[in-house]
Amino acid sequence: MAPQGENRTDADLTGEPGSSLHGVTGHEVFPYINMDTVPEEATDLKGRKFSLPVDSEHKAKKLKIYSFARPHMLTFHLSWISFMTCFFSTFAAPPLLPIIRDNLGLTKTNIAHAGVASVSGSIISRLLMGTICDLFGPRYGCAILIMATAPAVFCMSIVSTVDGFILVRFFISFALATFVSCQFWMSSMFNGQIVGLANGLAAGWGNAGGGITQLVMPLVYDLIAKNIGADNFTAWRLAFFLPGCMHIVMGLIVLAIGQDLPDGNYSSLKRSGDKVADTFFKVLQYGVTNYRTWIFTITYGYCLGVELTVDNIIAQYFYDRFDINLTIAGTIGSTVGLMNIISRPAGGLISDMAARRFGMRGRLWALWTLQTIGGVLCIGLGLLGSLGPSVVVLVIFSIFMEAACGATFGIIPFISRRSLGVISGAVGAGGNVGSILTQVLFFSNPSYSMEKGIMLMGVMAIACTAVLFLVYFPQWGGMLCPPSKATEEDYYGGEWNEAERAKNLDRNSLKFAENSRSERGRSRQEQTSDSAPSTRV
Amino acid sequence: MSAMKIALVLAVALLALVSVAEAGVSFKSLNSSRTLTVQAKIQATNVTSGQAHVGTDHLVISWALNSSFDGTGKDARYVNVKIKLCYAPVSQTDRGWRKTKDDLEKDKTCSKGITQQKYVSTGNTTTWRITKDVPGAVYFVRVYAVDAVGTELAFGQTTDKTKTTNLIEIVPISGRHVSIDIAAAVFSVFSVGSLMGFLSLEAIKQRKANSKAGHFFRAAFTDIIRGHSVLREIKIIKSKC
Repeated sequence: MAPQGENRTDADLTGEPGSSLHGVTGHEVFPYINMDTVPEEATDLKGRKFSLPVDSEHKAKKLKIYSFARPHMLTFHLSWISFMTCFFSTFAAPPLLPIIRDNLGLTKTNIAHAGVASVSGSIISRLLMGTICDLFGPRYGCAILIMATAPAVFCMSIVSTVDGFILVRFFISFALATFVSCQFWMSSMFNGQIVGLANGLAAGWGNAGGGITQLVMPLVYDLIAKNIGADNFTAWRLAFFLPGCMHIVMGLIVLAIGQDLPDGNYSSLKRSGDKVADTFFKVLQYGVTNYRTWIFTITYGYCLGVELTVDNIIAQYFYDRFDINLTIAGTIGSTVGLMNIISRPAGGLISDMAARRFGMRGRLWALWTLQTIGGVLCIGLGLLGSLGPSVVVLVIFSIFMEAACGATFGIIPFISRRSLGVISGAVGAGGNVGSILTQVLFFSNPSYSMEKGIMLMGVMAIACTAVLFLVYFPQWGGMLCPPSKATEEDYYGGEWNEAERAKNLDRNSLKFAENSRSERGRSRQEQTSDSAPSTRV
Repeated sequence: MSAMKIALVLAVALLALVSVAEAGVSFKSLNSSRTLTVQAKIQATNVTSGQAHVGTDHLVISWALNSSFDGTGKDARYVNVKIKLCYAPVSQTDRGWRKTKDDLEKDKTCSKGITQQKYVSTGNTTTWRITKDVPGAVYFVRVYAVDAVGTELAFGQTTDKTKTTNLIEIVPISGRHVSIDIAAAVFSVFSVGSLMGFLSLEAIKQRKANSKAGHFFRAAFTDIIRGHSVLREIKIIKSKC
């Protein structure tokens, strides 16, 4: 906890022996004081002022999008731009496919396999990234991944066979795990009351990279082919140097000026004792044994999974069913990706607004409503037979589905404090598994027409969203059941055993518990403000 | 709300585009008008079928009005001829973007145009250097006779109706260059190398800081222990009062 104004002495600012531990050891032994707000001139553990109002964990309570101030807003911009770079490079091949398929002699089956490969690599990497974030921090996770996948992007320039193309798309898709580091980073930097909006903005603007690439890569290709005069089959290869260089630049920037937590990086905080060094197995255990992880893996599979599937098949669907120009079909396809800029943050905002009034129960109902409406619209899309209404329904459907994705990550930060990375990784990977499952079940079977596949996808989305009714937080309740007498400290403290609690290793979880009391909703908040401040000796 | 408006405008624009498009000429209707004879030879070897290399080989295409139609007046409306390179069925399988459709406006079989010439009943020849953007596939050559506005009136092709004879295989360029390979390798090594460099630098800094921190820790702990014992004494004194 930051030292309060009256406790600070000049010694703390001059860095004398013991000042680096200020706010840690001496303070922790004293009884906890329930402080939701910290004065505007709060400082981090090194005495630097924060430019945004922060809570007791130094997480920001406001989002100033136009600011690049350290550490919160700078982190926000670094994480969404690096995630956008990865989405950009993963989906850089589809807009250039008309040239690539002629160069490599690809068939429709080859292209379908490459499409599946481009979402499967990230399943493994998202799971790994979760644990890396928990143990080493999101800065290292993001930078290492983005720079390690840069060679795969450059390899795209030198492929000459079908298998090579599929393999390269598989390896580039590992980069999509930056989603996990992005969400983890946002959850570490922003308070629970705005975490939905922060997560939604960062992920939505990152996801939009898939739409941006559909517009930018053809332009770059045209520039190289026409203005520089390279052959078609050489020009597309040169165009891939753009996403590759973006990877290197973003990786270096993240390493140079990124920061894991508001107070500093994991390594320096571990040294000063502010960050608990955790073990891989403990982190994995608490992530895997929490049943809520798996419920959200399923629901996100039919939220992001549906969105990814639609990204892959929609241009083809419009081209084949309604016989329109391939360029127009591609533009419609990119609209779905670009909608993310608004709809995903909107979902996060809706989740936060529901939480302000109804707490966690509000967040759960908001998510269920958004995703179910999305499923209904998907069924409608499959049933419609004319072009105009289909486009309108497609746009509205993508708004609701992407908002549901945003709302999901308004809830994920609250499932666990200790294993946030593992859970984010598992849920993120679930999205990709859902997409592969859907494509295999409904879109590779020759007996299903594409419209029937879309309709069945909508039905499955509604069915899988219904598992949300099983989620129950003892301290906040579930969709149908009210909360029990348990407290947030019981829930988050329960992730640490007696021996660990004796060593004070759970202090960060308890700080988080205190800050998460906002998830009780307005009516219960009024009750708790009357009661005595909670203490812990 | 503005998202809804954008969606509506997009829908209206698309509907407008769809209503403007018209169907093209049906290929089946031209069946009775196969009035042209076409021959295509690979210049290097002077054969009508075989392998041709992109960028170096030439195709010599000669077309003329079929002698059986001489003087029938069938070619009265022919103004120009369009010579096109078309995919053979073997190169169309599992590739929907090269599909043969009856509506010539939507037909993708002959997507590569070679050239356009003025129509004369005695025919003409053209030599075409195979351009580097031609994909590797099996082809035949088709010539459409068109009127002044470009509507197809008749055709001729180098192969038979089933498109299995006299096919030309074109060998493409790979698009790869040694310079691209080297550049890709250099950038990749730079990426991984700078990452390793950064990580090792940070590890070295950490090790240095840890050894310094060790001293701080020891000093800090002694302070705290002293502080605790002072506080305990104060509490004992207070409780006694």
